[in-house]
Amino acid sequence: MISRRAVLASPLLAAPAFAQQAGARALRVVPQSNLTSLDPVWTTAVVTRNHGFMVYDQLCAQDAGGTIRPQMAEGWLEEDGGRSLTFTLRAGLKFHDGERVTAADCVASIERWRRRDPFTQVLWPRVEELTALDERRFRFRLKRRVPLLIQALGQTQFPCFIMPARIAATDAFQQIREAVGSGPFRFLTNEWNPGQAASWAQFDGYVPRAEAVDGLAGGRIPRLDRVEWTVISDPATAANAMTTGEQDYWEYPLHDLLPLMRRNRQLVVEQRLLDGTYGICRFNTLHPPFDNPAIRRAVAMAVDQRDYLRAVAGEDPAGWGVCEGVFTCDTPLASEAGSEVLKTHNLDRAKAALAAAGYKGEKVVLVAPSDYPQINALSLVTADIIRRLGMNLELVATDWGSLIQRRASKEPVEKGGWSIIHTTSSGQSLTQPVTHLFLRANGANAWFGWPDDPEVERLRNAWTDAADATEGKRIADDLNRQAMQLMAYVPLGYYWQPSVWRRNVTGVFKSPVTAFWNIGKS
Amino acid sequence: MFAYIIRRVLATIPVMAVVALFVFSLLYIAPGDPAAVIAGDQATPADVERIRQSLGLDRPFLVRFGEWVWNILNGDMGVSIFTNLPVTTMIKQRIEPTLSLMVLTLILAVSIAVPMGVIAAWKHGTWIDRCVMGFAVLGFSVPVFVVGYVLAYIFALELDWLPVQGYTAFKEGLFPWLENLVLPSIALGGVYIALIARITRATMLEVLQQDYIRTAKAKGVGQRSILFLHALKNAAVPIVTVIGIGMALLIGGAVVTESVFAIPGLGRLTVDAILRRDYPVIQGVVLLFSFVYVLVNLLIDLLYTLFDPRIRY
Repeated sequence: MISRRAVLASPLLAAPAFAQQAGARALRVVPQSNLTSLDPVWTTAVVTRNHGFMVYDQLCAQDAGGTIRPQMAEGWLEEDGGRSLTFTLRAGLKFHDGERVTAADCVASIERWRRRDPFTQVLWPRVEELTALDERRFRFRLKRRVPLLIQALGQTQFPCFIMPARIAATDAFQQIREAVGSGPFRFLTNEWNPGQAASWAQFDGYVPRAEAVDGLAGGRIPRLDRVEWTVISDPATAANAMTTGEQDYWEYPLHDLLPLMRRNRQLVVEQRLLDGTYGICRFNTLHPPFDNPAIRRAVAMAVDQRDYLRAVAGEDPAGWGVCEGVFTCDTPLASEAGSEVLKTHNLDRAKAALAAAGYKGEKVVLVAPSDYPQINALSLVTADIIRRLGMNLELVATDWGSLIQRRASKEPVEKGGWSIIHTTSSGQSLTQPVTHLFLRANGANAWFGWPDDPEVERLRNAWTDAADATEGKRIADDLNRQAMQLMAYVPLGYYWQPSVWRRNVTGVFKSPVTAFWNIGKS
Repeated sequence: MFAYIIRRVLATIPVMAVVALFVFSLLYIAPGDPAAVIAGDQATPADVERIRQSLGLDRPFLVRFGEWVWNILNGDMGVSIFTNLPVTTMIKQRIEPTLSLMVLTLILAVSIAVPMGVIAAWKHGTWIDRCVMGFAVLGFSVPVFVVGYVLAYIFALELDWLPVQGYTAFKEGLFPWLENLVLPSIALGGVYIALIARITRATMLEVLQQDYIRTAKAKGVGQRSILFLHALKNAAVPIVTVIGIGMALLIGGAVVTESVFAIPGLGRLTVDAILRRDYPVIQGVVLLFSFVYVLVNLLIDLLYTLFDPRIRY
């Protein structure tokens, strides 16, 4: 039988452009979603952050073990009892426009980034001054020692990317117009077709560190001429494209299609990302029935995380894990102190607790995003629990865009409000109190659902000032205990998101984000 | 005729104005907030509000509508909230794949459906007629995405004759261009072929009963001439009308087909923009689709005069 590839190989039929593409070492990638914005400060979209890791570099970066190591920085010097922190840049760093990277660029980039990063916003009141000392050195003057500052600068969740000062001067709430960084790949603006394609080319002027790659730390060596993203919104089509070899790497394959991918010997299916994705069931604490913490706890008693995780990630227990606490499991602050309520897993006991809590048949509006498969699955499992508990449920199926507007409403359900929503979060964000969005309980300023609990807030602040790791862990235990009492949200465990790549893709390494340096193609 | 064309073109202006007002109003009252999408989970309500202000979404309806209409009149469709690119640029990037898909589907559909309908009418009541009608029912009943997946499975995965997804621009060569469009065109054309074939058959059956056809037969005119010269020309007006109306089917079907075959066309642009509430893009694309639809119908009206000289404007 004559195959298409045999026909295309014929010099008569192959167009010149085809031949050029075939010659370049290009990695063809199906990204998790559409790259709509190029500004990793303006939007928190993960796909934009992944683009950021290609184009920009960081002062310091997280290794596979979670330690922050120097990246653009040669190192940093702590003086004056920790009240002065001076960074020195490595020599020879250049932006994609040919300009040298200077300390002034770093200061401008930090100034823009810190206006949007919630972690740094907590720490910034302790910063007295940030100034460039010369071409390669800049200094933080602090009111007192802030050990978490390095962690904030090297974080992965909301990375501090360095861009030219002229671009970083853009207001943090306005989108930048150019993607010029000093990272290992150059963004090819003229090839960007939002919703379809985005391409990057190797940056010849990049100066990688000499160390071996280790998570996001170490040498970020670009081994590909080009990285080409093609947005394929339909998972079945993406799976077919991987099977036929039209694409080389699929970042977020649908869990349902993993068995199919695993059966193909040309494909590798592996857990590349270091963090699991955590499910969250959030209550609106402003209105009945969930303004009553006892009712929230009663619902939590009926929850068995395994049901949720099977619904999202399938029957294979290797694809998910139970985590019955508020902090990411297997990290230093992980705790199950006071988590007994989550270990009940019993509908009858939950029903009894619900009756004892004084539930009077108030309507529960659960909003589910039908265009978001994972969150929709979590929502439907909760809906089933609420129904089986005998609560008065109204399940509203909508799209994600409508949900994120509706969740901002503080009105009662009769006026367009909501009772329960679900979301997911990277395990990274839940490792410590300052980055843990769902733990906040500062009323009107808390995340949607607006829980108000001064004790949670006190403990959160106390952790930031903890003298050492032991004290930090003790406070984290107290926080978990208090969070279980408050039950502003029910943790639903975590699932892994494997990636798929063709067997001829080499050098794929474990990392907290999908990064493409060090990767080659044979 | 010329005056008629001018009148009809001018008549599109109030139509477009109504469409513009309708689309703008719908988007204004529809739920969803692009500022919340942009801000992400970690943003505070104050952050979301600042983004909303920076996008001008906090201004009154009339001010925004007036400004949008004024810009449109000046040839400026605005800038995408998310990509920061002009809407016209985004439409330019996407128009070729959609146009290619629609033109190829149209050619494919007409060249298959019209002969099918003519033959079905000619062989009325035979197994050929029943096969054609059976196909038409199937074409109507099976969703575009199912046809798409089945075609991709057979011709891309199993036989490896055609690619699964993507689009290659015409300038890259005719073969690569066609290679990417064959399966989507067949998938999208199914409904269209069914529709045109049924109408062609029904109209031809009616025409073939006319006295002048009997006369032609009596005079010894050949079967082919009777069918394609005498009957089909007189059956053309309803067929052309259905082809025009069917453009709406094509536009709707293109959204699904482009998603299944990952074609970077206007259909996917519209869906993506709706899901993210990218208002300027939605408004621009819907306005463009409406304009194309009005123009196609004008073209169909003008074609009537070719097929039926009695029609004069």
